[in-house]
Amino acid sequence: MRVVLLTGKGGVGKTTHAITTALGAAARGHRVFLLSTDAAHSVGDALGRPVGARPVPIAEGVVAQEVSALDELDRSWGALQKFLRQLLKEETDELVAEELLVFPGLEELIALRAIRDVEATGEFDVCVVDCAPTGSTLRMLRFPDVLRIFMENFFELERRGARLLKPLLEPFRAGGLVPGEEMFDAFERLWSDVDDVREILMDTSRTTARLVVNPTQVVLEEARRSFAYLSLYGVATDGVIVNRVLPRVAGQGWFGRWAAREQAMLEEIRTSFPIPRIEVPLEPRELTGLPALQALAGRLYTERDPAALWRQGRPIRLRTHSGHPRLEIELPGATKEALEVDARGDSLVIRLRDASRIVALPRSLVGRPIRRARLREGLLAVDFE
Amino acid sequence: MRVVLYTGKGGVGKTTTAAASAVWAASRGLRVLVASADAAHSLGDVLEEPLGDEPRQLELKDGGRFSGTLFAVEVDARAEVSRHWGAVSDYLGQLFRHQGIEEVMADELALLPGLEELTTLLAVDAWAREGAYDLVVVDCAPTDSALRLLTLPEAAHSALRILLKLQRAIAGLVTPLARNLVAVPLPGSEVFRDAEGLIYRQLGKLSELISDPGTSVRLVLTPERMVIDESLRARTDLALFGVAVDAVVMNRLLPEEAAAEPFFAEWVRQQAARRDEVAEFFAPLPILAAPLQDDEVVGLARLQAHGRILFRDHAPEALLSSEPGLEFRREGSGYALRLPLPNARAEELDVTRVGAQLMVRTGALRRPIPLPRHLLGMDVSGARCRDGILEVRFQPSETA
Repeated sequence: MRVVLLTGKGGVGKTTHAITTALGAAARGHRVFLLSTDAAHSVGDALGRPVGARPVPIAEGVVAQEVSALDELDRSWGALQKFLRQLLKEETDELVAEELLVFPGLEELIALRAIRDVEATGEFDVCVVDCAPTGSTLRMLRFPDVLRIFMENFFELERRGARLLKPLLEPFRAGGLVPGEEMFDAFERLWSDVDDVREILMDTSRTTARLVVNPTQVVLEEARRSFAYLSLYGVATDGVIVNRVLPRVAGQGWFGRWAAREQAMLEEIRTSFPIPRIEVPLEPRELTGLPALQALAGRLYTERDPAALWRQGRPIRLRTHSGHPRLEIELPGATKEALEVDARGDSLVIRLRDASRIVALPRSLVGRPIRRARLREGLLAVDFE
Repeated sequence: MRVVLYTGKGGVGKTTTAAASAVWAASRGLRVLVASADAAHSLGDVLEEPLGDEPRQLELKDGGRFSGTLFAVEVDARAEVSRHWGAVSDYLGQLFRHQGIEEVMADELALLPGLEELTTLLAVDAWAREGAYDLVVVDCAPTDSALRLLTLPEAAHSALRILLKLQRAIAGLVTPLARNLVAVPLPGSEVFRDAEGLIYRQLGKLSELISDPGTSVRLVLTPERMVIDESLRARTDLALFGVAVDAVVMNRLLPEEAAAEPFFAEWVRQQAARRDEVAEFFAPLPILAAPLQDDEVVGLARLQAHGRILFRDHAPEALLSSEPGLEFRREGSGYALRLPLPNARAEELDVTRVGAQLMVRTGALRRPIPLPRHLLGMDVSGARCRDGILEVRFQPSETA
């Protein structure tokens, strides 16, 4: 099953393009599942019809679901939920406790599990994921790693500890404050599911991310960081969707200044993301409802199959090379003579003749001086102190 | 002392609004601090001034003459995390490295979800308590994470406290034994000390800040269907946790000049309808509206001009709505939703449950209220309107 993750800064049009991707893929005969993992779901808002926590057909060949962590807890994690609920009820109101059951991290976990569930049905060729804004998505993607470490180290320990303690604490047990065996079992099942998802997500021949951006400065800055981070976490980005570009007819008169600014931004987007790109003009009205979205999908994906792998490989990688952090960046076709590399603030500026490309640095590399940079066979390796 | 937090769906102009309100208030002689609490900072970009993790003093000029000072800061979440959570994140980093995870990755992984947002708010709280400012303006992250942030201290800290107690008891018992048995580094007491410090002292203070009558939230939105839908849900969530919303800011209204462009004719028409909806749905909250400018609103001068338009009828530091807004209260085994409807006549009132929403109609006016998840499983058992307050009661479903 192919997995396409739509991500980007808030408000750029992720949901709109998750839907057009799904509709475009379905039009080519793929069986599509559209999954919203953003806790602030808007697939239903965009379609102008309710889409809930249970899968529901929204168009020919497309089934949609808005993952609800609470609903999922109710259905599959009875034991875990009981435990949490008891903990929370100790001091807070029931209504609030109910909302708090979804603590940070849980949402990511359940979103990941939902992807696996779609795969497990065997009924879909493509799973399109409408992700939460970038920050949360990155958290979601690194979650399997964090979880693996906790499971491998703490889990057995905790489990033994709880067993050991149970008889001692029995008289003081304030309504099940010591987790029971069944909770550990629930966790174990969850873990094995998440490990499956990890395999799906890290498989660059199956899973890719598409960055949705608008041609504005603030959005672009963030997209650069996401592009680097996605790559670092092992997820390939195979396309950029530039949404809400002022069409020529609209960039006149009062909007002239906006149009000029956008042109400069578009140029910057072209050099910042050396991957396939589609530009989507601003519509003359709000884009909601199935017919409008279907029409847009038709226009965007006449030639290109949205379910195809638009590009292969991870353009940026981070590893350790003889004790130093090394950033590897793919620069196909670049030659040594024309290349200049410079760390500036939180970015790496790569100048290739007249064009320059800015790569956002992972936070752990910000402020570190460059030891050396080397270009070999289209791969730039930058070693940091 | 006032603390005003600006939040809303992604991309609606939260940072611009927060900055413009701060610049405008400062130019009117107030001591103002504007702080960015969104990990993806753009406050510095908007002010066109490099900012750091300590408040920086900026001079405002009006027609070349000094007109006030403003302090601005971008909270360094990483530094805050290491201040409050240092031992814990060091330990996690150590553990990850031990697992063969590369050092740089290990540092990234040691930041647990929610922690950055939380410690950011702690920094804001510390400045608010300093007493050096009349107004602290906070540029928050988009709605979902901001909500999580605001609602976290209220109750999560009791849960964390219990977990920590348990954790510590287990570790105290297991560690001496385990040290010999397991190859991984085990947490020392400093790890627990940091975790406890954060949980007991800091989170408690934060709840105070959030429930303080001097603190309010303003919802920023644009006149678009999807944005309005999300803002309505945000208002319900905020009400649920007792956070006061005192105004709605509506950005990016197309100006009259834009209406002259044929391409935008339909947009202008749609916006007019959305604009009425916002007034209707969020009443009685005041709506502060600002038109789309002909260029990006960046830099102190443009921000000040924008602030002047936005706050033409109100002072940016004022509490713009003091009456209680939407409220949820426990009542026996059920709940009561209370909504002030000052001019509603009981005979015109109509309350219906439509899916996950409660639709309140008074005459021609509609007010959709998305319901909290817990109430979705309950039945509406009654509704009445008295002294200008609508009260809708919910009871656990008979069948459930």
